[in-house]
Amino acid sequence: MASRERRAVSLLAVLLCQGVTVLPVVAQPTLKVGAIPDQNPERLNRLYGQLADELSDRLNVKVRYVPVSNYPAAVSAFRTGGLDLVWFGGLTGVQARLQTPGAQVLAQRDIDARFRSVFIANTSSGLQPISSINGLTSLRGKRFSFGSESSTSGRLMPQHFLAKAGVTPSQFSGGRAGFSGSHDATIAVVQSGAYEAGALNEQVWTSAVNNGRVNTKKVSVIWRTPEYVDYHWVVRPKLDQRFGKRFTTRLQKAILGLKPTTPRQVTILELFAAKRFIPAQASQYKPIEKVGRELGKIR
Amino acid sequence: MIVPVRPTAPALVLLPALALLPVLIVVLNGAHGGGAEILGSFVVGAVSPSMDPALLKALLIGLQVTVATALTGWSCSLVLGVLLGCLSSERLWLTWSLPAWPAIVLRRLMALPRSIHELIWGLLLLQVLGLHPWVAVMAILLPYSCLIARVWRDQLQSLDPSRLQAILQTGSSPMAACMTALSPAMGSVLVSYGGYRLECALRSATLLGVFGLGGLGMDLELSLKSLQFHELWSGLWLLTLVTIALEQGLRCWRSWGEQAQFGQRQAMGFAVAVGLSGGLGGLWLAHLFPEAGSLNWLPVQWPDLHSLQLAAQELPWLSMLWETLILTVLAAGIAIGLPPLLLLLNPARPWQHCISGFWILVRVIPPPLAVLLLLLSNQPTLAIGALALGLHNSGVMGRLLQEGLEQQDHSAQVALTSSGASPQVGWLYGSLSPRSPSHLAYGAYRSDVILRETVVVGLIGGSGLGWQLLESLSSFHWAAVLLLITTYAALTLIGEWLSDRSRQHWLQS
Amino acid sequence: MTALLELDEVRVAGPYGDRLNAVTFRLQNGERIALLGRSGAGKSSLIGVLNGSLTPAAGHARFQGMAIASLSRRQRARIGTLWQDLRLIEELSIGQNVNAGALGRRRLPWALANLLFRVDAEASRSCLREAGLEESLLADTGLDRSVGQLSGGQRQRVALARLFRQQPDLMLADEPLASLDPAIAAEVLERLLTSEADGKLRGGAQAVVVSLHRPELIDRFDRVLGLRAGRLVIDAPASAVSVDDLRDLYAP
Repeated sequence: MASRERRAVSLLAVLLCQGVTVLPVVAQPTLKVGAIPDQNPERLNRLYGQLADELSDRLNVKVRYVPVSNYPAAVSAFRTGGLDLVWFGGLTGVQARLQTPGAQVLAQRDIDARFRSVFIANTSSGLQPISSINGLTSLRGKRFSFGSESSTSGRLMPQHFLAKAGVTPSQFSGGRAGFSGSHDATIAVVQSGAYEAGALNEQVWTSAVNNGRVNTKKVSVIWRTPEYVDYHWVVRPKLDQRFGKRFTTRLQKAILGLKPTTPRQVTILELFAAKRFIPAQASQYKPIEKVGRELGKIR
Repeated sequence: MIVPVRPTAPALVLLPALALLPVLIVVLNGAHGGGAEILGSFVVGAVSPSMDPALLKALLIGLQVTVATALTGWSCSLVLGVLLGCLSSERLWLTWSLPAWPAIVLRRLMALPRSIHELIWGLLLLQVLGLHPWVAVMAILLPYSCLIARVWRDQLQSLDPSRLQAILQTGSSPMAACMTALSPAMGSVLVSYGGYRLECALRSATLLGVFGLGGLGMDLELSLKSLQFHELWSGLWLLTLVTIALEQGLRCWRSWGEQAQFGQRQAMGFAVAVGLSGGLGGLWLAHLFPEAGSLNWLPVQWPDLHSLQLAAQELPWLSMLWETLILTVLAAGIAIGLPPLLLLLNPARPWQHCISGFWILVRVIPPPLAVLLLLLSNQPTLAIGALALGLHNSGVMGRLLQEGLEQQDHSAQVALTSSGASPQVGWLYGSLSPRSPSHLAYGAYRSDVILRETVVVGLIGGSGLGWQLLESLSSFHWAAVLLLITTYAALTLIGEWLSDRSRQHWLQS
Repeated sequence: MTALLELDEVRVAGPYGDRLNAVTFRLQNGERIALLGRSGAGKSSLIGVLNGSLTPAAGHARFQGMAIASLSRRQRARIGTLWQDLRLIEELSIGQNVNAGALGRRRLPWALANLLFRVDAEASRSCLREAGLEESLLADTGLDRSVGQLSGGQRQRVALARLFRQQPDLMLADEPLASLDPAIAAEVLERLLTSEADGKLRGGAQAVVVSLHRPELIDRFDRVLGLRAGRLVIDAPASAVSVDDLRDLYAP
């Protein structure tokens, strides 16, 4: 029976040496590009590979696209070095830069310098188009939905303008605002009547209307917010040490140099809904930081 | 005259279904047809999922990440959970003639990891480990191992102690005695419960895709965010197929080990499979993330006392706790009571197959999606959240109940129906009745899970502990996060204490 | 020479008063003892004291001169018990259950091997044969049958075989005949008391204590102990116990 005992023991041994396989691998420098896809996330996610290829060709380094759909996860991954270059929203970009000293703003789209949100309402709610910001007070007592809790255009700025008009979320029906999770979902829940009104990114609204995805009989815009700055490319500090001299500058040039000349570049700009990228400064985002602090989203 | 008696076990199993009443009243009251178009396109999406090759390729890559993460997390959590479960069993300490208090302390300590949702663990681990595939594995490992440990410990404690004593009396060493007297019964628990945890791990790994680690969850979430239902269904169907394959595979495995010695080998084979799949999953992850590198612990800055005090004053404690508790109780009621209620309606075979199909469906549909779908034809109320959470978890409870019923001896039901009882009554007394204590026990564990899952549906009302936790996390307000996590742990501890007490009171005396 | 077993003023407390009170007796090598008494008289408690699963609240219980409560593991293996509720492991096979009796003499890998393979089939088979299990269950396929599928009488014999497999010096049996018909009861008792080979005690055991409810079988024993309400009221050679003594013992 000794052989059987040995077999039993070796079975046990197999069990015990269950592998912890966190094997360190020789690290090649790879530029990890991340994004919080906000508009057209479906297509964006699958076609982001093209951006990675474009940057890889221009900069001669390995580039990998890392999709992130959770806002705080993207900010944290940027802080801890899991992401080198990220397409952030206004608020998340400021959060990321505050947590990562030395991080730089590289670029924004032409439209980001003059971004807007829209307030939409279900037609059966009785809400009328508003001419001035004070008209937002008509939203008191209504069921109101933001988008995602960290979205600049779907939550932060709308809440800021509401506050300016003297409306706080506790004055909505039920004593609070809802959070649909995304711009498209906000349209859906307002159109369905579950919520009477909501706020979202104007760009998403326009493209949804143009694509016929909105039943304009049921839901319409009641107010366009004033302009503010939103999305921007943010890059981690000290990339030059990993990828070579003046790498950050070259990266900025590569992004700014995207022109609708080759099919790939056309696709990339289309995906971002941009004609081109323009330089951006950190100072442009000071107002966002101020609003973020006022509303407790930046501590 | 009717004399009220203490409710018996099968009644206790059906009573929680009463939670459906208030929920349905609120939901039906608020129902409207406004979302019909969108709901319609959701249904259309189900029958015509997108077959775009680019999408399918992305989904298959995502599935690999998800499965590898699930396998690794499942395997590690099972090994650790069984170990912790043994260590937290008073009986084993006493068998070795040691004082039992370490077991009790350990058991209480495990409430903390268990009370926090995988998603939150993922975000917290991301802070200290950076973006690494093992963040997702550990986010599964932490709550799962503690939940498994609790189940394992309870099962160990519930075994008849006389057999262990009889073997110890032969002069056997405590280890050999436990192996001989306890492991046969625990082996079948391992195969049955352990197998079921794999499916749970698959769902959790799916959810954890949103962190930038990739996976099916990422694709599902993005499709959901942009309401691309055709694309969403491609992912959901894939997940359904994997779930069904897993369930059938486990069923085959179980039916294989009927004979005595065979059963032991089956359990041993299962244990070896668990170990191997952990190694395999780990290697697979290393292959999928070649640049991941080794795990490094990054320094954390703990919030100081002052900021904790400030945060404590800011939080709306009363409404937060109240809403979370209501949500949990209603959802748990639905999750526990609905499966036996549906089965009771018609114990005939074809209907039961229909129901198990329904359970797979509600398990596969993630709660946030369920909330959105319910919202489209309703108004935002807590009842929506409770219904979504309750239905999702009733899928899990239903699966466990049906599995238990299949393995159980049917002679009592046959005896009752042959004495002229209706099929319903025969099923209720003959089949459900002996299954009830374990269904209630699993129900208690599920309530734990539901409590931490309130995080996922927190968005709907913009309220409750779950929403506050997400809001604090997205504001990087660590003081509030710490307080909220502690609150979750405290609620879990109280829940555990209550369920232990009530089970003792209702079932054991 | 020290007695195999000595009890001195043993008292065992119970929730409703003492279960045993001032029980004193000695047991010599080679003795076969019948333990009689009404239900609840303390027979099972006394067996518990003898195998160490109950610790006396007062008094001394010694086995081969050592306090039973503080026996080492190896020494405890010298006392074997046939439990009233048998305490077989339902999920295990017949062979595995019998082998469980040998765990006190074996190492851990053997215990593990016993769970996974058919180990020491010959040894368990001969014990089962001595316990009188039918031949059809002694084949290899029979040994692998799960205990959960057996009849009451068959289970009784598997438990008996486990006791034999332990090869104890002192065998205790708690109402081993309770659920058996008269013919089988007599046969089981015979197997418990006498080895077929030499007519001595089974498996080299030095003494056996059997609690039972069948006064008609006491002539099979050397000595009779009678318990009444926790006290030892009869301690006499079996031949000296009269019908009246037994009637008094069982009187309400």
